Amino acid sequence: MERRSREGSEVPLTALRDGETGILTSIKAGHERGHGRGWGFEKRLMDMGLTPGARVTVMKSAPFHGPLEILVRGSRLALGRGMAERIFVETEKE
Amino acid sequence: MTKRKLVIALAGNANVGKSVIFNHLTGLHQHIGNWPGKTVERAEGTLHFKGYTIDIIDLPGIYSLSTYSLEELVSRRYIAVERPDAVINVLDASVLERNLFFTLQLIELETPMVIALNQMDMANRKGIQIDKEQLEKHLGVPVIPIVAIKGVGIFQLLEKAIEIIEEGYVVKHAQVRYGGEVEERIGKLAKMVENIKLSYPPRYMAIKLLEGDEEIEREVSGIDPQIISTAKNLADEIEGLHGHSCSTVVTSERYEIAGRIVREAQKLVSPIKPTLEERLHNFTTHKILGYPIMAFSLLFMFYSIFTFGDFTSKLLSNFFYGWKLMFESLFGIGIVSRLVWGGIVEGIMSGVTIALPYIVPFYIILYFLEDSGYLSRIAFLMDNAMHKIGLHGKAFIPLMLGYGCNVPACLGCRIMETQRERLLAAFVTTLVPCAARTVIILGLVGKFLGVQWALMLYIIDLLVIFALGRLAFRVLPGESTALIMEMNDYRWPHLKTVLQQTWFRLAEFIKIAFPLIIVGSFALKLAEVSGLLEPMAAIISPVTVIWLGLPAIAGITLIFGILRKELALIILATLLGTTNFAQVLTPVQMIVFTLVAMFYIPCIATIAALAREFGWRKALFITVFEVIFAIFIGGIAFRILSF
Repeated sequence: MERRSREGSEVPLTALRDGETGILTSIKAGHERGHGRGWGFEKRLMDMGLTPGARVTVMKSAPFHGPLEILVRGSRLALGRGMAERIFVETEKE
Repeated sequence: MTKRKLVIALAGNANVGKSVIFNHLTGLHQHIGNWPGKTVERAEGTLHFKGYTIDIIDLPGIYSLSTYSLEELVSRRYIAVERPDAVINVLDASVLERNLFFTLQLIELETPMVIALNQMDMANRKGIQIDKEQLEKHLGVPVIPIVAIKGVGIFQLLEKAIEIIEEGYVVKHAQVRYGGEVEERIGKLAKMVENIKLSYPPRYMAIKLLEGDEEIEREVSGIDPQIISTAKNLADEIEGLHGHSCSTVVTSERYEIAGRIVREAQKLVSPIKPTLEERLHNFTTHKILGYPIMAFSLLFMFYSIFTFGDFTSKLLSNFFYGWKLMFESLFGIGIVSRLVWGGIVEGIMSGVTIALPYIVPFYIILYFLEDSGYLSRIAFLMDNAMHKIGLHGKAFIPLMLGYGCNVPACLGCRIMETQRERLLAAFVTTLVPCAARTVIILGLVGKFLGVQWALMLYIIDLLVIFALGRLAFRVLPGESTALIMEMNDYRWPHLKTVLQQTWFRLAEFIKIAFPLIIVGSFALKLAEVSGLLEPMAAIISPVTVIWLGLPAIAGITLIFGILRKELALIILATLLGTTNFAQVLTPVQMIVFTLVAMFYIPCIATIAALAREFGWRKALFITVFEVIFAIFIGGIAFRILSF
């Protein structure tokens, strides 16, 4: 696969394969408008446990570029792909 | 002994079993309304316990006390400003860390509280063991393990809540301590806001100001704007130190604290094999299998509802019409009697014959699916498709509701996060053929032209929903939002809660729709009795006859279809003088008539529901648009089919 995640590098969540885990590094908000909608969703993601340093496991992704099923802090979340592309993780070293 | 009144609020994440506890506590003494001026549901109930009259408020299920959504705002204001005597914080034991994140915020608000540790049985099965004493020690809050669905621990929970109220509230919660550099700045700010008389504790205000909470900023800036700029500077300092925004730092650290407590109080014993819930989840969200399972479940659901509905509906209307002769022998067949029977009695009847046979089973099954957790899996699978019309997976739920009745479906659009998405979802929802329109589709096209034609109409409907949804998505300003949704573990639904929910939705339907249906039937009967129908048909005949190619009289049914759509077919039969439509309508006419009936605004009750949620202007706009669109489509179909 082209977008194979390399060890220790920062990649979007969507680059992880099913079952892979990464440590969240940052969320790139969609629009740089301070406290606009983009910010609201970043806040929402963090409130659901997606904070920097959190371990995120991609369980599976729905077909045809559908949403991702992830596991974070013991809870199972469905995450739209557009959102998942803005979440960056560092893949764990073996 | 004087009877004291107490107020206890239930708060917690979504899907932790709050409504089940609410039901156990209040039984039938509850009512559902809206928070004043907000489209957020407010569930309230009363109970009597140990000489107290206790008001129980079931707050919306939320993940945080920030101001991200209306639900969070309403809950926070309620807890901080109205100060219930105690809060019962319900936690899902199997997702402890995320749940504690919310608990920590309640503690920061210095809320007198008890923790209800729910679903301990499920957590145990997943290999999670929780040490209640450890949890109590770290939080400084009493913890009562419960199994809400079986009613285990509810009594102790209530007793404990009363106990902390009786003891008088003393802040003895463990303090939520952040990192040194954050704490230092919280301390500084807390001193500054100490003398501000707001309903929030100073430390809480300080934390929220650092997080950039707009609501608190607004309140504080009215008193001392200097504090806001200081808070901004302090927040910038933290951002400089950490490389993340201050709000991110505070949220992360709060989660770190939650994580630390979990590590102390929770033991993981990995289960020997995946639980049944786990396997069910894997099947129903499977990349390939998930879709046929969903299609089968939905088809089965609709098939059984409409089979049941058709049968019961006929039974009920036979029962009602049985009274007609008796009514006529009592009151004669004069104009007044005809108006009363045809207008009022038949109005109530048609409401009942739609509501009971179709809407009730629809809701029961839907809430059953929701409570079990399957609806969130459907939203997961449908997210992609819904994105094509600018919505996300959750919008599929009101859309499905629309197949039962558009009124509750419009109200159901509240599950969407933004006002824009609620409006978009409501718009496409009104294009979904409800039970009443299904009666027309199946009763006219299905019966006389064959099921394949009826099926084709459903497919056309889906295409139109897709096309118009996409158009509306382009036209309406704003960006689309992404799906962020919890998929909690499958569980067996609590039947009483499901029935209760169904009952509330039914009551809502009766409240909105029934008066309008009755007024509608009355107006219809009045027009009929006073001989206004023919002239009206003549006025709109350019549209009905020339553009749509329908008999002039069919126009009447379309006008009154706005009042009561399910009657359109019956009126048509009355006006044409036969129920064998094949004798009086050509196949093309049947299809055109059904198409128009399918697309123009569902009915007056739906318009009222739209107005309630979005205001009259938007409701009227949707109405006018859909009427014009339906006529347009009908005319095109007429020309294509007769070609």
